[in-house]
Amino acid sequence: MRTSLVLKQRRPWPEICFPNGEWVLALALAVEIAVFSAIGENFFTWSNFFEVVRLSVELGLLALALTPIMITGGIDLSVGSIMGLSAVVFGVLWRDGGLPIAAAVGAALLLGCLAGLLNAVLIAKLNLPPLIVTLGSLSLFRGMAEGITKGAENYSGFPAGFLRLGQGYLWGVVPVQFSVLLVAIAAYWVLLHRSAFGRTLYVVGFSPSGARYAGIPVQRRVALLYFLSGLVASVAAVIYVAHLGQAKSDAGTGYELAAITAVVLGGTSVFGGRGTVWGTVLGLFAISVLQNGLRLAALPSEMTGVLTGVVLVLTIGLGRLRARAQRNEATIDEADSMKNSQLAILCCAVVGGSLIVAGTNIWLMRSLRPADIAPARTAARPGKRPVIAMMPKSKGDPYFISCRAGAEEAAKEAGVDLIWDGPTGLDPAKQNEVVEGWITRGVDAIAVSVENSAGISTVLRKARARGIKVVTWDADAAPDARDFFINQATPEGIGFTLVDEGARLLGGKGEFAIITGPLSAANQNSWMEFMRQRVAAQYPGMKLVAMRPSDDDRDKAFAETQTILKVYPKVKLIVTISAPAVPGSAEAVQQAGRKDVFVIGLSLPNLCKRYVHDGVVQAVVLWNTKDLGYLTVYTAALLVEGRTGQGSLQAGRLGTVEVRGSQVILGKPFIFNKANIDRYDF
Amino acid sequence: MLQRHRREVSLIVAILVIGAVLAVVAPGFFTFANQRDLMLANMPVLIVALGMVLVILTGQIDISVGSQFAICSVATGVFARMGLPTPLAGAAACLVGALMGGVNGALVAWVRIPSIVVTLATMVALRDGLRWVTQGAWVQGLPPGFQWFGQSQAASELITAGCAAVLAVGMNWGLRNLAAGRVVYATGSSPNAARLVGINPRLVVFAVFVLTGALTGFAAAFNAVRFLQIPSNAGMGLELKVIAAAVVGGVAIAGGRGTIAGTLLGVLLLSMIGPGLTFLGLSAYWERAVEGAIILAAVAMDAVRVRSGIHADIVSAQAA
Repeated sequence: MRTSLVLKQRRPWPEICFPNGEWVLALALAVEIAVFSAIGENFFTWSNFFEVVRLSVELGLLALALTPIMITGGIDLSVGSIMGLSAVVFGVLWRDGGLPIAAAVGAALLLGCLAGLLNAVLIAKLNLPPLIVTLGSLSLFRGMAEGITKGAENYSGFPAGFLRLGQGYLWGVVPVQFSVLLVAIAAYWVLLHRSAFGRTLYVVGFSPSGARYAGIPVQRRVALLYFLSGLVASVAAVIYVAHLGQAKSDAGTGYELAAITAVVLGGTSVFGGRGTVWGTVLGLFAISVLQNGLRLAALPSEMTGVLTGVVLVLTIGLGRLRARAQRNEATIDEADSMKNSQLAILCCAVVGGSLIVAGTNIWLMRSLRPADIAPARTAARPGKRPVIAMMPKSKGDPYFISCRAGAEEAAKEAGVDLIWDGPTGLDPAKQNEVVEGWITRGVDAIAVSVENSAGISTVLRKARARGIKVVTWDADAAPDARDFFINQATPEGIGFTLVDEGARLLGGKGEFAIITGPLSAANQNSWMEFMRQRVAAQYPGMKLVAMRPSDDDRDKAFAETQTILKVYPKVKLIVTISAPAVPGSAEAVQQAGRKDVFVIGLSLPNLCKRYVHDGVVQAVVLWNTKDLGYLTVYTAALLVEGRTGQGSLQAGRLGTVEVRGSQVILGKPFIFNKANIDRYDF
Repeated sequence: MLQRHRREVSLIVAILVIGAVLAVVAPGFFTFANQRDLMLANMPVLIVALGMVLVILTGQIDISVGSQFAICSVATGVFARMGLPTPLAGAAACLVGALMGGVNGALVAWVRIPSIVVTLATMVALRDGLRWVTQGAWVQGLPPGFQWFGQSQAASELITAGCAAVLAVGMNWGLRNLAAGRVVYATGSSPNAARLVGINPRLVVFAVFVLTGALTGFAAAFNAVRFLQIPSNAGMGLELKVIAAAVVGGVAIAGGRGTIAGTLLGVLLLSMIGPGLTFLGLSAYWERAVEGAIILAAVAMDAVRVRSGIHADIVSAQAA
């Protein structure tokens, strides 16, 4: 049966409401809401609805900006980086440049326009593929943000009137930034679906050469879209800064991928010519409801990725199947369209294949370390056991995994339920979202390892105002934002210990180099600051010649160390201050056969044991991470029961622990070396 | 000749310029030891790029290779711990990779979901799935013969380099001269025309995804044996590096156009920039900005040199 290209006179209502097959997605969203209403706590409430909305504004703006670009068949990978650059420039101009807030906002928006313009010129004028151009500008803009701030600078202390834009509520319930999202949605809806301009974008997406023959100025249209996307990304940056109360070079990292996911989930074709604003909005909420719901149900955040993948394949797959069934066209491409039975077999094969992959993975890992893969504790039991929610900076980091072991132990002893969740990578915005989720869910105590103090303190204060006990551990927030800080070691203590140990090995003089984590990691930056101070004050003979990032990646640390050894042959000491990077540096020194080079750093004994015994790594500075996790949960449990005294507290197997002001002191940083490392297993 | 290979020529110019600067300012860059280390460090990018070229040539894309790489690395270690000799563990990792590539390929070729959607989904799902299962734990306690395939370091490095070279040269030759290579170009240029001359484009697409998965496993195994333990977060951002190398190397993202040789030049250029900047003593803080600028300059060069008249194709040239 052939259908011609004649427009139907009367369209049935599903096609009017869901012109692009969005019903599949709407259905998926409905299922999500139904499931999470059943298993999540306080999920189906107005306040949670607005919470979800509030947290999806920045992402929503980027997704909206990407929709028309993808409809024309292009892509813009640089939106997240433009956010970072705008945020940083906004901070610089306001704090260091002394501009009033409004002028700084204006300048940030202007900068976004310029960044968009650069993409536009390269893509439309020079005829370059958008994927390469925006891949290049992704690095360029992020790199400029890092260069301007030296990775470390964190602009905060913005006036309350400005912060209201990202943290305030209209009439007590509606988040202020929601209005910005609404305006953007309306504007893009008019642009795409109610204007001649919008129709031409679809034409461009269907057939650029056809569009040109029809007299459409393709270049100018496309250029305008990239320009707009720069502007919208900088608006998102301003809201991000107001939301978190800080501007740092890592703002918006990875947002481009999340935004693209929302857009394609919303049914926009990556080949161009198809897509709606309505679909993008549905896609956005499908993702943010999923994240929020998993949090409120206290399920591990790794499920987000897995489920997002499943939802993505299912919705798009179903949409494709339906579209094909409807069209039933006899084009060459479709001539061999398969029978349903074949399709069913194929789907089964694919699902089966995925199950095998998943199954073998699980089975393999079980065979690897059965003890470590105990299922995460899920939703709290209905009884009256207190619930303590504990957040690491990054879930996958071996350092935090060893903290968790102690935390679980303390939870068992103190008779509390433990929720362990957090971002899967260093991400201050995600930390805020997780805490917001816990506040909505209603836990008894929150324990946070703070990635960025300025950003998270606002939410922690909010939690305290709701009567939730707040403890910070590993890294502190503002003192008024928490009840206690579990102080395992000050940045000063770590920096000084590392330098002292290095100076001892070098005999007080010589060149050394530092391998850090990501350039913008707050902890590492403050350690380096104290290391520099110590060297300047105590060891005039020592000289820091190079500092390189490892991005917490063992292989990158390995390559960077190799390069340092060659460029700076006089370097006799490598100080590596990221847990996964130390084995990388050690392996590089060992393979280079440089017995004259010392490696020290901050890492876990288990990762470094072999290198310590081989004499490559001389010292690993750390504290007992299991005790840190243990003490954190124990203190939180005591707080909930109101049994914290002055001067000291009784923390289970750790006995009496000193309390100084509002700081619980775990002890001094510990140096692991050949003599003692075998006594520790974490 | 120059017209047809203008991206390659631009790249060679860029590489020569950077090389000349380095040769004058930091001659240490060209020592054998440094070149060997650079080659080994970029070997995973190179091998995965060989597969990615095929995928992009058929008009598809695979952004899940970074996650596949992590899973294959862990799989290599787990198989080795189960007692398989290292080469067999590596082969098993290739199989795991091929299986994951097969899932991608089947969804793209037969369920007909756009490849960027499928691989976006598998990218996040596989990465988070691995995190969930391992809880971030590294694979430790590998058997003593694991590192360097039980050979000496030099021998193992020679094996690695040899395998990569054979693969690259073989695929470059095969793509030009074998029927199996030509069908990849045909499928990418016009799937309909390919069908009419008797090619099954879906099978081709499926095959290139499987091959990419297997190559990713191969790269992961060869990378794993250089160390004593295997992290579970390997390959972060690998997909971007690989795609950047391919597109900078002149592979058209719309399919049907591009060469292995160009991609190798792309890998070479991108792998020179980072360490090159360290050799020049540039501060790490500005490195990413300079990297981005060099990529943009390299691709803008051929556009500025030969302004093509077909402006209308700007958009079609990118649709993946």
